[in-house]
Amino acid sequence: MKYQVVVVGGRIGGSISSLFASKNDVNVLMIEKQQEIGVPVQCAEGTTAGTFHTLEMKPLKKYIANKVKGAELHAPNGTTAKISGGMAEGYILERKIFDKHLAQESAQAGTDIMLKTTAKDLIINKGKVCGVVAEHLGQRIKIKADVVIAADGIESNIARLAGLNTLKKPYEICSCAQYEMVGVDGDPNWLKFYFGTEMAPGGYAWIFPKGQGVANVGLGIRSTEKTAYAYLEKFTSKMDATPIELNIGGVPLSGPMEKTFTDGLLVVGDAAGQVEPLTGGGIHTTATCSRIAGEVAAQAVQENDTSASFLKKYEDLWKEKIGDTLDMSLKYRHVADKLNDDDMNSLAEFLKYNNPNSLSKISALKFLGKHPHLLKHLKELL
Amino acid sequence: MKPEPGKCGYCGACVTVCPHARLELNNQVHLKKGCVNCGTCIIVCPLGALKLEE
Repeated sequence: MKYQVVVVGGRIGGSISSLFASKNDVNVLMIEKQQEIGVPVQCAEGTTAGTFHTLEMKPLKKYIANKVKGAELHAPNGTTAKISGGMAEGYILERKIFDKHLAQESAQAGTDIMLKTTAKDLIINKGKVCGVVAEHLGQRIKIKADVVIAADGIESNIARLAGLNTLKKPYEICSCAQYEMVGVDGDPNWLKFYFGTEMAPGGYAWIFPKGQGVANVGLGIRSTEKTAYAYLEKFTSKMDATPIELNIGGVPLSGPMEKTFTDGLLVVGDAAGQVEPLTGGGIHTTATCSRIAGEVAAQAVQENDTSASFLKKYEDLWKEKIGDTLDMSLKYRHVADKLNDDDMNSLAEFLKYNNPNSLSKISALKFLGKHPHLLKHLKELL
Repeated sequence: MKPEPGKCGYCGACVTVCPHARLELNNQVHLKKGCVNCGTCIIVCPLGALKLEE
């Protein structure tokens, strides 16, 4: 079997890479280990309008569960601040349908798709990735390729096999558990975030409303105390709501891996750590990088140069688009990691009366003057 | 390290932190030879599906 581009993984990173490669007239195969695209969901399903701009797609009703105006931040002592517009505004997707829609678009653009097909190894010749060895229904198959795109998620077997450093420290992985629940009270126009060491140490809990009393209720933690699932059980114990789905997963908060390409290979999405370290949000960042990966892979094939020196263009381009955002988000995460519950309470109190989208320097400095512990940490950002 | 049967949620968080690349996600988490029982994977498993070998 021979393709010009082989994409490993059929979630958003895989479908978007394969879509934009196929759009640029190269022959593309996408392999997915599950027997259905879009399951299991490993995502809180929130994203911003930017995702659709990147994809040049309209947000369609069939995969938008709900639109939200902003976010409610709940501090450990119960202080609540509301932030509307900007980054807090967006959509709650139905990922099962969205992922399938993207795969459908990719197939319509010409991508071949194989399901229940797991990449087991890479074909490497003189140090260059030349394809994958996959297993499909118990059969080993060799698939040769000019470029392989690794969109194989957090475990990123492929990037590691190509010799890239994918190892993460435990504190760089947010351990997450989420229920999709029915019978969740509250205004469906607002995302809810809950902070505190009792609630979600090293992370936060969330309620993302999907409309009609359905919501994703989940949390991410970085802690050795208890499992994410145990914290989720505690968080939901007082809610009169019923789970209809349990999602679990690890989210990379390390920032992007050091190098996202090598000879004949590109790495995208969670596999590449293209996730905002502060929030753990990765749909928009993955969409941006995967589109570039698909386009650069196609160009490399057409120009008959799939060497690392050509494919570096992928990394240059995605860094140009979102490199600064990811760097800044990592800096914020490092600061957030140092804040204690009292700091979170003070911040929420401040945000309650000051909209961060129209913050004056004077009011921020006045506030920090009263909270030297916060100032000590926040000055790293100034 | 010992994966507890029936508890794994197939998310792959453990695989990405294993310092010796001894874990593999293959329908369920699979332990390759050479695990040094360091316990790193236990920290990130959302379901507590891994425990130290006694």
